[in-house]
Amino acid sequence: MSSASAVIVAETVAEVRSRRLSLDRDRSRTGVMLVIPAVATVTAFLFIPIGEAIYYSMTNWNGITSQWIGPSAYLAMFKNPLFWRVLENNAILLLAVPVTLVCGVTLAALLNERVRGWRIFRAAIIIPTAVSWVVLGIVGIQAFAQNGMLNSMLGSVGLKFLEHNWLGSPLSALIAVAITFVYSLVGVNTLIFVTGMATIDPSVYEAAKLDGASWWQGFTRITIPLLRRYFMFTFVITAISAFSALFSLIFTMTSGGPNYGTTTIEFFIYDQAFATGAFGTGALLGVVLLVILASVSLLQLRLMNRGE
Amino acid sequence: MASPVIRSEDERTEPLLEPLTGAKKRIRIAPGRAVIFAVLAVVSVIIMYPFYFMAVTSMRSEAQYQLGRGFSLSSWTQLFASVPVAREMMNSLLVCTVAIAIILTLSTTAGFALAKAHFRGHGLVLLGLVGGMMIPVQSIIIPEYVNFVGLHLINSYLGAILVYVAVGTPFATFLMTTYFRGVPEELVDAGRCDGLGYAGVFRRIALPIAKPALATVIVLQFIPIWNDLLVGLLFLQEPTVRTFTVGLGVLASSRVVSIPGLMAGSLLSTIPAAAVYVIFQRFLVSGLTLGASR
Amino acid sequence: MTTVRLENIRKVYSNGFEAVHNLDLVINEGEFVVLVGPSGCGKTTVLRMVAGLEEISSGKLIFGDRLMNSIAPRDRDIAMVFQNYALYPHMTVEENIGFALKLRKVPKEETRNRVREAASILALDAWLERKPSQLSGGQRQRVAMGRAMVREPSVFLMDEPLSNLDAKLRVQMRAEVSRIQRRLGVATLYVTHDQTEAMTMGDRVAVLEGGRLQQCDVPQALYDRPANSFVAAFIGSPSMNLYEAQMSEDGLSLKLGSQRVTLPGVVFERHPALVGFRGRPVIVGIRPEHLHIPRAEGEPFFAGDIDLIEALGSELLVHFSIDAKSVHAGKVEEEPDALAMVSGEGIARTGPKVKIATGSRVEIGVDAEELQFFDPDGGASIWA
Ligand SMILES: Nc1ncnc2c1ncn2[C@@H]1O[C@H](COP(=O)(O)OP(=O)(O)O)[C@@H](O)[C@H]1O
Ligand SMILES: [Mg+2]
Repeated sequence: MSSASAVIVAETVAEVRSRRLSLDRDRSRTGVMLVIPAVATVTAFLFIPIGEAIYYSMTNWNGITSQWIGPSAYLAMFKNPLFWRVLENNAILLLAVPVTLVCGVTLAALLNERVRGWRIFRAAIIIPTAVSWVVLGIVGIQAFAQNGMLNSMLGSVGLKFLEHNWLGSPLSALIAVAITFVYSLVGVNTLIFVTGMATIDPSVYEAAKLDGASWWQGFTRITIPLLRRYFMFTFVITAISAFSALFSLIFTMTSGGPNYGTTTIEFFIYDQAFATGAFGTGALLGVVLLVILASVSLLQLRLMNRGE
Repeated sequence: MASPVIRSEDERTEPLLEPLTGAKKRIRIAPGRAVIFAVLAVVSVIIMYPFYFMAVTSMRSEAQYQLGRGFSLSSWTQLFASVPVAREMMNSLLVCTVAIAIILTLSTTAGFALAKAHFRGHGLVLLGLVGGMMIPVQSIIIPEYVNFVGLHLINSYLGAILVYVAVGTPFATFLMTTYFRGVPEELVDAGRCDGLGYAGVFRRIALPIAKPALATVIVLQFIPIWNDLLVGLLFLQEPTVRTFTVGLGVLASSRVVSIPGLMAGSLLSTIPAAAVYVIFQRFLVSGLTLGASR
Repeated sequence: MTTVRLENIRKVYSNGFEAVHNLDLVINEGEFVVLVGPSGCGKTTVLRMVAGLEEISSGKLIFGDRLMNSIAPRDRDIAMVFQNYALYPHMTVEENIGFALKLRKVPKEETRNRVREAASILALDAWLERKPSQLSGGQRQRVAMGRAMVREPSVFLMDEPLSNLDAKLRVQMRAEVSRIQRRLGVATLYVTHDQTEAMTMGDRVAVLEGGRLQQCDVPQALYDRPANSFVAAFIGSPSMNLYEAQMSEDGLSLKLGSQRVTLPGVVFERHPALVGFRGRPVIVGIRPEHLHIPRAEGEPFFAGDIDLIEALGSELLVHFSIDAKSVHAGKVEEEPDALAMVSGEGIARTGPKVKIATGSRVEIGVDAEELQFFDPDGGASIWA
């Protein structure tokens, strides 16, 4: 019985396939026509170059000639202390991500109270996002200079002992980069959290209030858990930015120095290829960066799907 | 979960940032609204201070800046004298406009195809394009640079534009696909009954109702392209084709212009991006939160 | 003016699911045919195949004398009204209604006049400049109608066009849709899951279940002579009471649970084929209005326990139960309420003045002439 009906179904599916030709043709034909330009462009200028990058990463390419080295190129890189120095810088910068998130969610919660003038405050908080990293770098040099904004601010609040030529030593320069990073990205984070909070039904808070919850309890027990997806999302985009959006800032503010103190992997790529002429090494670092970013993205997908 | 964050055109009157119920309805035990106000005010002042610094410094000459007193327009004149501001602005505008126009064309057509005009293997194509979103420009820039040297696309607008397009199209396509998926199938059917083929449905129905999504793509692409340094530095090296951001970056590293002059340039570069940003703010949020809400 | 013929039409979706089985259906010129059935039975699929929005797996679709199977929707000269109206959000009411004409390159002036005319029939004159988002549900529904009307198509297709309206508006629009259809005289296939809508609107009603056509006839015939127990249960509200029963060897009585109900000779006059079921199980059906409380003198009866009395003003709906097993043919999933689960439940319809108490046991009279019988094997009705 069941095998007989299975045969019938098999036949009918075949039949359906063969008939596809007539009516669905307009759809699939139009679909293919419409998708080709994007696919061709992305293939030519994104996928092929990434393929080339993977190939050249295993060569000693200088932009003109190349000799095959093989996967051992990666091993050599992993043995290079400078590479680990650079990754360490990235790791330290990554610490700015949770700071950005906490600042963002806090500011969003405050904005969400809709105090007088909240729209103006919102605009003020978001505006740095529109400012280019180049400008932030230029202003950052002034801000972190010996007689700059940060030191004078520290002095005026009685923290004079913290005054420092921030860009003069590796770790403090990296901290300066991190502070600029937070400054630039806190607005986007806030904006996303404000949007997230707007999706929470106010009656949830009313119910909690009837149960005797305080504002703080409402924030920690309702707002934060309900914003779970928003936290994951902001974490990922902020982390990706930390890895791949800071080239211009580092280029203008510190040029990767002092002494590689602010060289992150993305700046290292530029440095290797265009300052040293080691195109193969640059390509290799590009592949490493891609692997890191892909891991972060896939991790996000895993976490988000698990949450369902 | 939540409906697509980008709303269709007719719902546009509802600002995205507003909560669904009025502010009056939210009853909460707040820790003193005055305290909140004060905290927000202080944060805002700190955040705005660099802008104040830029504005004030740009209005001083080098000497006045050292002194911390007095005002003059000399650094502005110095900036305009040492940098072809108008030329660079035009370059920036040209590169941005063309790149975004291409991205819009590619992403709307592909997005419609992937959402509504299915063909054999459409799932794989979407997967590939989404995969492309993960590729950072730094990972392809070296082979791209070498290829474009061979194609004589260095120091041509087209070269830089193609890089921006390649890097921007995957996300824009993803965004448009998501948007078109939210368009009811019945609307497509209605168009077909009324006399359209799939191409007609795209042009006469899908595209006109996708305006909010187009705005989102514009704002999400304009800011990074306008503010880009890396691609411009490599692909637009000649002063004649340089964008304003690249010009500013070069100016800053060459240290031939005084600090007030740099501040004037910084301010000038910020204005267009900030303007686009303020005008399209709503669409920025909807594009950004696309990933969070689904 | 066109006659629509569906001949032996099948739909197999790409996942192998056969949604429509060998459907034959004719919609004559100017006729209003309603396709009714529980949700998921394949109504939309049928409609979309007629529209050309869905491929026909096998069989023939003929408009007049033209085979339409592989004609694109835009060349079929059909107009469709969708459940969610599918109005173009970026166009005004006027543009929405006139869009199809514009695509057909009808002169501007004529388009304008036809749109205005349709709008005035639908009382939309005042809203022509509005966008759909600025209209109420009822207005949107009328715009959807208008969009189909101006086309003056050869076939009208409507997929549950009233189901998103509130109850009162729905009743009002039923009459309006019927009126417009008569006026245009266009062959119409109207889909609904609401049997009341089907009965009140259709010239003929086609009942679909599980992708198979159960019966297609004028509404009264469906009610009086349902082809099988599914149609019997689906058409009519409250629905027909159906029980498993056993016919006695001599054919003089029916065993209904533990009770015996006498069968007068008139039953066999009306259902000659019933003779063959003597000594065998049958499904017996009786509509609520053919059960009498109190029973009349001399008529067959059975006793039932009163569970619930619904007073509707003009009448009472008396819910009772007996120990026979009731048959649910299709309607169970439609109205999954707790009562429906109790075995042997039934409903009788009585005048408003009858005095009965919940929990009591009463004798319920049966109008023997109106009894219906179905073959337990397959549910086909038993007549001649
Ligand atoms: N594209 C599809 N692929 C597979 N099955 C489908 C598809 N569309 C509908 N179906 C199935 O076909 C059956 C009939 O669907 P439909 O015609 O929409 O029913 P109705 O309109 O009567 O509620 C349902 O069981 C539905 O799940
Ligand atoms: Mg349906």
